Amino acid sequence: MILNTEHIAKSFGRNKVLKNISFQLKAGSITGIVGENGSGKSVLMDIIVGARSADRGIINRNGKIGYCPQRALLFPHLTVQEHFIYFAIAYGIGRDQLKRRSEELLLHFNYRKYKQEKIINLSGGTQQKLNLSIALLHEPDLLILDEPYNGFDWDTYQMFWNYTNHLKKQGCAILIVTHLLSEKERLDRIYKLENGILI
Amino acid sequence: MILRMLIRQKIVIILLLIIPVFFLTIVEFTTSERMLPFQLASLDEDVFINISEKGISFIFFAVASSGFLVSFLALNLIQKNNAVNRRLIICGYHPIELMISILLALILVIVLIAIYIGLLTNAFYTIDHLSRFILGLVLIGFVYGSYGLLVGSLIKMELEGVLMIVLLVNIDVGWLQNPLFYAEAQNQIIIKFLPAYFPSQTAIITAVTDYSASTSILNSLLYGFVFLSFSMLIFFYKMRTK
Repeated sequence: MILNTEHIAKSFGRNKVLKNISFQLKAGSITGIVGENGSGKSVLMDIIVGARSADRGIINRNGKIGYCPQRALLFPHLTVQEHFIYFAIAYGIGRDQLKRRSEELLLHFNYRKYKQEKIINLSGGTQQKLNLSIALLHEPDLLILDEPYNGFDWDTYQMFWNYTNHLKKQGCAILIVTHLLSEKERLDRIYKLENGILI
Repeated sequence: MILRMLIRQKIVIILLLIIPVFFLTIVEFTTSERMLPFQLASLDEDVFINISEKGISFIFFAVASSGFLVSFLALNLIQKNNAVNRRLIICGYHPIELMISILLALILVIVLIAIYIGLLTNAFYTIDHLSRFILGLVLIGFVYGSYGLLVGSLIKMELEGVLMIVLLVNIDVGWLQNPLFYAEAQNQIIIKFLPAYFPSQTAIITAVTDYSASTSILNSLLYGFVFLSFSMLIFFYKMRTK
């Protein structure tokens, strides 16, 4: 198993956001978690990636994690290329892998021309491409995507799914969290987060 | 990267260029050359300093602008990209590595601002011991930079953070530490406990006298390290992965 969660619970004051969440992700699978706005999807993602602690429960992660947050979390005054360098240091990947992967992602998502552009000058869609590319830079074993296609145009949306299928074939476990899932046939399993539990 | 991000912000460059020049120009046009003998709190009671109103005002306003600028930039360094820094940590960066990067950037900013304001002040009014005066500006930068880091690590919202800085800088450096006000102030003990007391004393002693400022320097460092330690502990606690 790439990810195993057991009996995860999280409350904010009296509001029990997550009550008893248990699920597993295996290599080479795409899993979706859907839920209404405010159902606790992002809180669950934060707990899985380690940005937030759970009140109760166990999480076992095996392998490298790639996390694409809902909002493009980028440095407004750095360029696209500088982001790749900065995050490559965080991931601990070497110069050769950085060069190969950044070029691959820039070409695949068709934004190579913005390589030297500062984030503050990019459109929301291009920022979202970089947001996703950072999660993919170190070739993760588990890819966690929180509302990944916000701001994508149709072509980018297709590119996103092509790339996701390519990763699946390579054995990557993918978790997509969204409030709106239009292409259910692309996913191996779908959970619904409702009243703090997965259905 | 942290320093690069800082200097690419237009507001940072504008503030750096405008604030010290504006403060010192105001002093130039509003103060007189009359001599004002006064006692300095951290020197012996029988020591009187003879300096013109213009001279002491230049020194005092140089200290104030240095404190304000460094404090604001420190807040900017720690608070501005909080969510992205957190993402970096999730991706594998250690919070201590990030803290060290921020601190190194801040130290460089403190030294550069102190040199810039020191030289600028000297252009308006000849400082007797310029290099020692710049040391005083480095100390106010260190104390108020550490205060800026503390505010930034405690307060999430930018506006509230800026308000906290402006409030303390205004009351402390901008008003109570003015030696002319201090000499006549009631309850001087309160003023002595404020963060700018020791760095202000250092800056004035080093700029216009030959007396040793070692006690003020040590106390300034101590004050700065207390702020710094608290800010780093809070930053580490908030940024660590769970």
